[in-house]
Formats: sequence, C-alpha cells, structure tokens
Amino acid sequence: MRWHKRLLAAGAVAAVTLTAAACAGGKVRGAEGSPQPGASQSAADATFVYVPNLDVVTDWDPASSYSNEIIAMENIYESLTRYNPQTKKAEPRLATSWTSSPDGKKWTFTLRSGATFHTGKPVDAAAAKASIERTMKIGQGAAYIWGAVDKIEAPSPTTLEFTLKYPTPLDLIASAGYASYIYDTTAESGDLKKWFGEGHDAGSGPYTIDSWQKGQETELTLKAYDAYWGGWSGPHYKKIAYRVTPELTTAWQLLQRGEVTFVQRLNAQLFAQASSTPTVQTSQTPSFQNLLTLFNTVSGPLKDVRLRQAVQKAIDYDGLVAAMKGSGVAASGLVPEGLLGYSTSQTPKQDLPGAEALLKQAGYGPGGKRLDLTLTYAQGDSDQDLLVTLLSSALDKLNVKLTAKPLQWTTQWDQGKAKDPSKRQDIFVMYWYPDYADAYSWFVNVFHSAEPISFNLSYLKDAGIDKEIDELPALTATDKTAAEKAYGDLQNKIINEKAAVAVPYVQNYQRAFAKSVQGYTDNPAYPNVVFVYDLKPGA
Amino acid sequence: MTRYLIRRLGQAALVVAGVVTLTFVIMRLVPGDPAVAYAGPRASPAELAAARRQFGLDDPLPVQLWTYVRDLLGGDWGTSLHTRRPVRDDLFQAFPASLELVGAALVVAVVVGIPLGVAAARYKGRLPDLSIRLSSMLAVSVPVFWLALALQTVFASGLGWFPVAGEYDTNLDRTSPLHVYTNVTAVDALFTGNWPILASTLSHLVLPALVIAAYPAGVVAQMTRAALIEESARDHARLERALGFGETAVLTRFALRPALNPVLSLVALVFAYSIVNGFLVEAVFNWPGLGRYAADSIRSLDTPSIAGVTLLVAVLYVAANLAVDLLQGVVDPRVRAR
Amino acid sequence: MTAPGGVLPLRRTPLRRLAGVDRLAVAGAVLLALVVLAALLAPWIAPYPDDGGSATHPLEALVPPSGAHWFGTDQVGRDVLSRVLFGARTSLLIAVAVLVISGVAGVVLGVVAGYAGGWVRDVIMRVTDVFLAFPALLLSLALAVVLQPSVTTVIVAIAVTWWPWYARLTASVAASVATRGFVDSARCLGVPAPVIVFRHVLPNSLTPVLVQLSLDGGGVILTAAALSYLGLGAHEPTSEWGLMVQQGQSLFTTDWWVVTFPGLAILLTAFAFNVLGEGLRARLAR
Repeated sequence: MRWHKRLLAAGAVAAVTLTAAACAGGKVRGAEGSPQPGASQSAADATFVYVPNLDVVTDWDPASSYSNEIIAMENIYESLTRYNPQTKKAEPRLATSWTSSPDGKKWTFTLRSGATFHTGKPVDAAAAKASIERTMKIGQGAAYIWGAVDKIEAPSPTTLEFTLKYPTPLDLIASAGYASYIYDTTAESGDLKKWFGEGHDAGSGPYTIDSWQKGQETELTLKAYDAYWGGWSGPHYKKIAYRVTPELTTAWQLLQRGEVTFVQRLNAQLFAQASSTPTVQTSQTPSFQNLLTLFNTVSGPLKDVRLRQAVQKAIDYDGLVAAMKGSGVAASGLVPEGLLGYSTSQTPKQDLPGAEALLKQAGYGPGGKRLDLTLTYAQGDSDQDLLVTLLSSALDKLNVKLTAKPLQWTTQWDQGKAKDPSKRQDIFVMYWYPDYADAYSWFVNVFHSAEPISFNLSYLKDAGIDKEIDELPALTATDKTAAEKAYGDLQNKIINEKAAVAVPYVQNYQRAFAKSVQGYTDNPAYPNVVFVYDLKPGA
Repeated sequence: MTRYLIRRLGQAALVVAGVVTLTFVIMRLVPGDPAVAYAGPRASPAELAAARRQFGLDDPLPVQLWTYVRDLLGGDWGTSLHTRRPVRDDLFQAFPASLELVGAALVVAVVVGIPLGVAAARYKGRLPDLSIRLSSMLAVSVPVFWLALALQTVFASGLGWFPVAGEYDTNLDRTSPLHVYTNVTAVDALFTGNWPILASTLSHLVLPALVIAAYPAGVVAQMTRAALIEESARDHARLERALGFGETAVLTRFALRPALNPVLSLVALVFAYSIVNGFLVEAVFNWPGLGRYAADSIRSLDTPSIAGVTLLVAVLYVAANLAVDLLQGVVDPRVRAR
Repeated sequence: MTAPGGVLPLRRTPLRRLAGVDRLAVAGAVLLALVVLAALLAPWIAPYPDDGGSATHPLEALVPPSGAHWFGTDQVGRDVLSRVLFGARTSLLIAVAVLVISGVAGVVLGVVAGYAGGWVRDVIMRVTDVFLAFPALLLSLALAVVLQPSVTTVIVAIAVTWWPWYARLTASVAASVATRGFVDSARCLGVPAPVIVFRHVLPNSLTPVLVQLSLDGGGVILTAAALSYLGLGAHEPTSEWGLMVQQGQSLFTTDWWVVTFPGLAILLTAFAFNVLGEGLRARLAR
C-alpha cells in the first residue's frame, strides 16, 4: 500500500519540476514587467475590456494594416480628421482646420500644436508628410485612398499642403479608418516594418501598446499615453484589454457578470436578452458592413460561371434575414444603402429551379455528377453559421456537397491567398466595409485584379472591369450622375455576368456593453471601433 | 528487479519512438505545404526556399524523421503557425493549467468514487448497489461537452453560484499580482499566500473539474465495487466474519486496502484520458489549458501545435503506464515475472 | 472510452453461457433496441422527415416545444425531434462501422499474434502499444485535422485508435487457446496453420471480444459526437447529435431545447451500450 503514495509523490514532484523549469524566477503574471506599487491601484484606473470573436492583430504596420486590428489601431493612432456620422462631415483630429482651393485641387491642413508621438517626437507637418508618403510608397491595404495626391508639402511645422491630380474631398479621405494614420517614421532606424511587427507602435493617440501575446485569450492590452495632447483630467479609462472569446454564450455571460465591458457582437437571441437586462446597455445601428460570399473564378469547379450562378441562386436570402431576427437586413447589390452607388433593383432572390437548370447544363445537379465545394468562414459568427446551414441544406437538395470550415481570420485569409491555386477554397465568406464613406473600396479592393492577392479573393481578372473601377474616383469627383451609372453597371457585371460574388445581407451593429459605460455611440464609419478615450467609466 | 526495470524502460522507449514516428507520419499527411504556411503567402521564392531549407523539406523522409527526432530531443518542438511562438513554450504555458484542472477532477473522482464503490459493495445486489451502478454508468455515458454547457448555463449563468469562464478573475492581476513559479495558478497562489487569486481560482475550478470528474468517478466506483466484492469473497474475509466483524468493517477495515491497488493504478491510467476529455470542457469554460490551445490550433490549421499536444499527451500516457507498472513491480514481485 | 485495465476475464467462454438472463443486460438491450428502431424507422416515425435532411424553414426558427414540434425547432426552423431521430442513424452507422472495422482488424491480428507467438507476437504487440498510447479522441483529433471533415473521416479516425484493444484481448485469449489439447492434436494431424487459426482458435476467442464490443459502443458514440462537436466530423445538413449541440451552443441560455435534446440522445445511447455491456460482463464473470 505504500507504493501508491510514492506514486503520487513522484507525480507531484515531476509535475512541479517540469513546470518550474519552464518558468523559473517568479515572473509576475498579467502585467508585463514588474508591478508598480502604489501607482496603479486607484479606482480611476478603470480597464475597458473589449470582447471580439476573432484574433485582433494581423498587421501592426500603420501603412499596410487593413484588417481586424482597426479596433486597436484607432485608439493608438490618429488621422488628420475624423468622420462624424451624424453631421456626415469630417471633424478635427490632428488637424484643427483645413481649407481647399475653389477648384478642389489644393488642400491646406493646419495641424494641432503640442501633440507628440509615443516616441516623444512632436507631431509636425514634416512627420505627417513622411508618414503619408511612406504609406503611399508601400502601397498596400487602403493606400489607394491617397490615389489623387500628386504632391505633399510642409511649409511650416503646422501647415500641410496637398496638391491633387483631380478634385476629391480630401478631408473625408483623411478620416479613413485605414491608411490615414499619422505616425513617426523615424521611430526605428533599422527595419521599421519589422519593428512594428514585434508589437511596437509610433502613434499619437491616447493609448499605446502595453502587452501583446498572439493566441492568448487576452491578446492585447493598451495603456494610457501620459503625454496625450487631450490630457487625462477627468474620468477616463486608463487601460484597454482585448479578450478574444469565440463562444458567444461565454461572451454574454462574462458581460452579464461584469467581467468584461463591451461585446462586439452577440446573436439576435442573446441581444434581445441583453436588451431586457438591467445591468447592461445595448446599441443598434445600421451599418455599411455587408457579407460577401466570394466565388473562386479561377480554379476549381466554380471556374464555370454557370455553377457560380447556381450557387448564387441557391442562397435563401429572405430566409437568412428572417432567421437573423434583426441582426441584419436584406442587401441590394454590393453597395449598402446610404452610399453613392446604392440601387434598389439588385435585391437577390432564391431560385432553386433556376439553380438546378444551371447545374444540369454543366452536367451536375440531381441525377448528374456530384459537385463538391469547399467554403471557409469566420469562427464564432452566428450569422455566418446560419448562412452556411441554409446554403449547405439548399445545395444538398441539388446534389452539391458543401464542406464548410470555420477558421481563425488569419488562417482563412492565408489560405485564400495561397500561391498554389489548388489549395484555395471555392467559396470565401467575409465582411467588407468602406474605408471612408464611399463605395469605391468594395470595387478597388475586392474586384480589381491584384498581384499578389490581397482581398481580391474571387480572383477576378478582367481588364474591362479594372478599367471601369480605375475611372470611379475621378468620375465621383466630377460627375455624380455618371458615377452612379458606372457603379450600377459595375455591379451588374460583377454580380450578374461574372457571378463573382453574392451579397446575403448588410449587418446591423448590435453592441452590448456594461451599464457603467457613459458616452458610447457607434460610429459605423469605423467598424467595430470603440473610441475608448471618449468614454467615461461610471459607477 | 533491475532486469525488470531495464526491460520495462526499454519497452517504454520503444513505444515513445513509435509515438514520435506515428505523429510524424500523420503530420506529413497534411495537404498544405508547411513552408508556405510559415513563410506566408506573400513570401518571395527565395524566402520560400529558405523556409523549405529551414524545415528540411527537401530531404528524404527518413532524414526528415531523424531531424525531427533530433530537434525534439534538443527541445525544439517547432513553431506555432498561430501564436508564432515556439510550440514548447506554448505547451509549457498551457499544460500546467490542464494539470491543475485534471488534478482537481481526479481528486473529486477519488473522493466521490471510492465511497460509492464501497457502499455498492456493502449492499451488493440491493437497491443502493443498483442505483450506484446505474449512476456510475450514467456518469461514463454523458457527453462532457454537453454536461459542461448544461452546468455552465444552470450554475454560472442562471444561479450565479460560480464564475462563467476563465481560470481566475484577471482583474486581480492588477490588485494582487501573482508571482509565477510553477505556472499552476492554484499552487503558486497558495505558496505565495496570494489569497484573492487562490479563492478566485478555486471557485473557477469547481464547475469544469466536476464535469471532467464524471468519467473517472464512474470508473473508480465500478472498479472499487468489483475489487471489493472479489476481495471480500476471499478466505481472510470469511475468517474476519467468523471473528464477529460486521460486513461494513470487513469491507472498510480489511478488504479496502488491497482493493485500492488496482483502483489507484486505474486512476493513473485515466489521467491521460481525462486530459483529452478536458479538451472539450476547456473550450466551453475558456480554461487556458492544452484543450483550448488545441481548439485554437484546429481553427488555425496549426499542425506543429497539434503535433506538440499529441506528443505531449501520448508521452504522458506512456509515462503514467510505466510508473504504475514499475511501482507494482516493487510491491508485487509476481508482476516482474510476467 | 474503454476503461483501461478493464476487468474482463480472459478465458474461453462459450457464447451460450451468456444466454442466461441478466436484468441489466436486458434493460440495456431494450434501450438499445429502441434506439436502433428509431434509427431504422426514422423516415416513417419522424413528424417532419424532410427536416432530418436538407429542408429548412427559417421563418419558423426557434419555436419552443409545442404540440406541433415536441422538441421545438432549431435556428433554421427544422424540427428538432425529427433531426434527433435521424441523428440516431448517423451515430449508429458510425458505431457499427468503427466496431466492425476495428473488431475485424483487431481480431485477425490478435489471433495471428496469439497463435504464432514469438517475434510475430512481439511486433504486433509493440505496435498496439504505440497506438494505445494515444487516447482515442487525441489521435482522432490529429487525424481529423489533416483529413477533410466528414462522417468517413470520423469512422477512419476512431477505428485507427480502437483496433488495438481487440488485438490485445484476442491475442491473450488465442494464446491460451493455442496451448489446448485440441489445437495440439490438430497440429499433429497435419492441419495447416491457417485452418487451425480460423477453424479452431478464432471461434473460441470471439466471446470476450463480442462483450467488449458492446461495452465499447458507448465510447465510440461519445468520441464521434465529440469530434463532430469540434467541427471535425459530420457537417450540415447531416443530422448528427454532436454537430447539433455545437450548432446550438450559443443558444443554450435563450433556447434551451436546441441543445438539450440531442445531448440527451447521446447520453441515452451511450448509456444503453454501457448497461448492456456491463450486464454481459457481469454474466461472463460469473
């Protein structure tokens, strides 16, 4: 009988030595580095805990960042202006005022004095010029927004002058959610991109990166930047934590119990429950964010346009919106309501006989060959789950087997960008939203040919469509009617002729957050972003 | 004894070698190209070639296997595609949390299972026996992920008796920071006298540990019952009864100790199973252990991490087996002859 | 999952010894028969047979249990009762396929090992050791990640981890059978080895394996449900209990019926297998 006691002792010793070897020295958990006794325990140090369902950071470089990290970037970096969805106008941010010449081709921004980067250097016109020029030179992500810019000059530390190739509302463009950030390009003498990639920042915003551990539950924490130009007097959140929670029920329960502050998205049922729960607040806002179902136009079975059209027709658009119970509305074409280019005539409808006929023509369908398709989508999104269930059921009736995989965003995206076309999916599901209040971003990013692949995940490559897309910005600036017509024409080509995409719904932003949060309004121009500095932590 | 020890160690080494080979083979079935996955889709051909060289993908398979083994022994378990950190570091961080959870579950299983087994044996064939047998069968039949959801909904979300998810309230990291020595939070908190974190961890442990305990508690109860019944039919029990000891005394005073031998070796063997069963529970309770790490890895198609988790648990299982056999060999010389 | 170190007696037992009535075994058999009947008759007894397949009715999503839908409807308006009944087909199909594949592979290898002995036995046993080192769910998980998720993947993944149990069991029984007089006499009479193995050794090794198989049915069902729950097994629109739990997971606090009934179905079926197996084992041990 002694032996089992020894067994347990041996096991305990082994376990302790194994783990102790991993982490000797008594590191302090959570806070990176050492705790600051006395300095940090007051009630004013409220932490804002944000719950997303996906990993936060895919790219730390403010020039090329173009994904989910926007929810952090907008709290770390600032642009010249910020868009106000109520007035539909740009408002001062790093620029305090601006003017444009009568022909709209010369813009002058006056910069705020006293703002500094987190590196300690002042935010001046030269720095702003350098960062926009670096962003344009790298040319990734949303860098296209500066496409109209011919020349940037910095005649004085607070004056920034843009000369444009064609007239365009530069104050709106400067408010874009991506690629508009002003940052310190001299933050690192070596490889700046690599330096960013290690989790450093060089912004001027109210918060700076505190710790970043990819793949951890609390992936990212930000802390207050003491020298922020707005100051820290009055109640503010001094820390932001991003706690990745793929399971909606868990996210909701954490909020209910006060362990987190803000949940990006629940499902319709939980949102209804949240609306009737006294300890939480909710907010619902129409958005410019729609779901894109991108079909692989280049390789795999969907190379055949008839099959793409068949899948388009198999989607139960009305049923999906009904099952979403208010978390989304029906879409009409690629452009959501409220933007130039929206038309009411593109509302899609399910058409199973039509889908069957198209499949038959291609030799598939009931009685024909079985068609196998793969689809990738985001983990932890109940609306996309619904789409997958409805689509796979409808396709099943048509002798099409759909294998759908919920993935982490980076994984899904990397697979979509795979060099070897045979490794890519047949159907790629993702959300899209504009970079500023303009529909151009759907077309130039998703349907313009691009090499290497970035977001053109239908792999469409059509010189005619490319040409029309390229003409859009100038057209929008000069002739609204012609631009509207061009948008209508392009949507017809992309959706109906090429069948590169189906648009199942436009999201309603449904947020749930703690009762104690004061001053929250959703700004759909910055999707899913909470400008935490603007909020007050209440009791 | 020495000969037995050497033979048994040799066998274990052989099994570990097989485990490594099998893991290697499975991971080489992956349809993707690990070099592409690592270097990223924007990698230039030169970067890709460098990645291929780094992973040794141009070498023949046996050479790759040898490289793999050499790296494992040298402590290089590969790099996670998801966290971009060495898999070994990730495992060292995640494993202690799993250990904490499964350890707590096994304590519960033993504390609940053994008395139930004794009671069943005492009332063999009567109503208590039948109900204990049935409930232990129920315990081993319940899908853990479903039980986890049900308990979470009822006791955490509904009644609010226990926290919903996580290992402890992370707000405590600021008010009473934890000094980490073993990475097992409860142990560290206990030894550094960090009572707030200890209390928080223990209350977070209750629900997931109960869920994981269901299966081992069931088998422990069944095993205890069977062993006791066998033991109490032996000659010494007849003698004890003749001496006037009551049935309960015969069972608990005399039969229980020898009967515990197989029960406790069973617990050691159930350990690895419970770690894997725990995977499903950790996902529900967002417990920062191997299971959540594995679930994340699945959604990121992160093969190096999956391979790491698989290897670690398999080796753990072999080690538990070995420990049980060796200790039995010490206690019972007959085992050595087998 | 199989309890490691199970207490099954490793001796030759004719099947007819099991014929005596054990109440537990009968109860398990009845329960299991109900599940099998549900599976076989699903298309006829399900109130909405189309819902077990690819029908959807999004306008009737998440209706609570009522006279029209005893178990309510799910997130796309399908009748949960119908899907639970059809789910029995998927689960039993997986269980039977896994047990047959791993049973046949295990028994053949086990008999060969037990009869041949020597290095053949050593090699086979070391290989089973390696596979036994992976808890079933773990290896299935690793396999399911590298293969495309489907019911077939689940069957293959679980069978790969399950056969060694039968190989070991059969080997030890076969070894004891092989030393018996009638096998020796056959060998002396010049009966070829394969004939001895399959005519004499194999039939005598089967009973304990059959009992073990019925005990393991529950484990296979649980593992398959777990794999589907992790998204590595069956996918929409297949009716599968683990998948149903996973799909309804975020609805548990608001629409309890979507998750509760498929979970109960898994529990009931695994329980039926376990009770039957226990009953048979108790009978055998007597």
